[in-house]
Amino acid sequence: MRDKNLVLFVALVSVLLGPSTLIAQNGSAGAPPAKPYTTPKTPWGEPDLQGTFSNRTITPFERPANVNGREFFTPEEVAAMEKAAASRNGDEGRNKGTRGDVERAYNDFWWDRGTKVTTLRTSMVVDPPDGKVPPLTEEARKRQADEAKRPAFRGAGANGRGTDSWLDRSTFERCITRGLPSAMSPTAYNNNYRITQSPGFVAIQIEMLGGTRVIPTDGRQHVNSSIRQWMGNSTGRWEGDTLVVETTNFTDKILYRGAAENLQLVERIKRVGPDEIEYRVTITDPTTFTRPWTLVIPYVNTGEDMFEYACHEGNYGMEGILSGAREEERKAAEAKKGSPQ
Amino acid sequence: MGIKRYGVLLGALLLASGAALGAHHSFAAEFDANQPIQLRGTIAKVEWINPHTWIHLDVKKPDGSTERWMIEGGTPNTLLRRGLTKASLPEGTEILVDGYKAKNGTNRANGRDLTLTDGRKLFMGSSGTGAPRDGKDASEK
Repeated sequence: MRDKNLVLFVALVSVLLGPSTLIAQNGSAGAPPAKPYTTPKTPWGEPDLQGTFSNRTITPFERPANVNGREFFTPEEVAAMEKAAASRNGDEGRNKGTRGDVERAYNDFWWDRGTKVTTLRTSMVVDPPDGKVPPLTEEARKRQADEAKRPAFRGAGANGRGTDSWLDRSTFERCITRGLPSAMSPTAYNNNYRITQSPGFVAIQIEMLGGTRVIPTDGRQHVNSSIRQWMGNSTGRWEGDTLVVETTNFTDKILYRGAAENLQLVERIKRVGPDEIEYRVTITDPTTFTRPWTLVIPYVNTGEDMFEYACHEGNYGMEGILSGAREEERKAAEAKKGSPQ
Repeated sequence: MGIKRYGVLLGALLLASGAALGAHHSFAAEFDANQPIQLRGTIAKVEWINPHTWIHLDVKKPDGSTERWMIEGGTPNTLLRRGLTKASLPEGTEILVDGYKAKNGTNRANGRDLTLTDGRKLFMGSSGTGAPRDGKDASEK
């Protein structure tokens, strides 16, 4: 469904901008000028990243084909995209009685995908320079073919691999986690984060599915490599005004684009203005990706409160999915019994 | 089946990434595209819970009896940020629901469109909150 939406989105942008606009622009024209900014300090002298932020954005994840490799949109292109996003109500192009219509659920009042690009970047992927996720290794492609044989589904998106058991549903649907770096990346709603600090620690509370990352910056090393966690093990340090977080020790129970226990992340988090944090993450797994790659996602200060999530208590969706499948099987069995030989 | 599963998996891998469009769970797995349904009823209560709100609706049947339905909505966090509160959907409000029945055969559906009896679509709000009018929104003045 989202692939389809992405295609629709790219098509919409192409229509709005027109091919001549896109061909006429080259290089990094439209790049934002560097603004001098001094990061405030906490009372104990560390850079102060604290606040509540949202990372919702309409910036494409990977660079769309129709920008001819440009790293930045022009302000005119951005204005057109943001206008289109603001006027969207979620009812466009829907056909009743189709799977796609059910999947899109309801109109945009319920969704919070954002209406701003925040930066002029044409993609969140900034490295490789083509703005695309690097190809998977041969080994990773082989692993993918074997995924269906695993006892539990390892995907972290909004869809499972089947409906025989909750173990066939994604870790997202199972209310466990979207994993990293997904949990730090925007999705359809609840794209809210709260950063708090104390001497030697930075905590990042994540609204979607709940949970807080507590990152020590006191110089400690990673835990023993035999300890494996859904969100890995993070250690932080300050490089100037940038918080650098290295995360390893991931479990093999969740995938990020095919990567699991060998995933290594280096996040670089810094304020770029009074209301904006730049979140940069470099993703490395030589067993999965043919090269390291980097995402940049803007986090914008909201000043809003965070809300709790309490996912399991209200997760009627899981029950509905599994009991729905049982009911369909029952009906199919009945129809088979009743049909003439 | 193998190919289908592989396709689903590939899709999931792509979607796990942070493409800015994902819901908490698959609606198409929970609700049936072949069973569109229209319900008219009064709100009995709203479950203000994550990952999704549920509106409980009393629907009058032709024989005069009442049937309770549950309608799945969006995350309450987004609704709160849009200015909706528990008071925005008081008990007894009559609404029309256009959605899809749950596959499990129970009285559940998702609310594709929720409309007030005067024709205003609930939560469509391109101006203001789109919530039922309570005089608090600038667009109502």
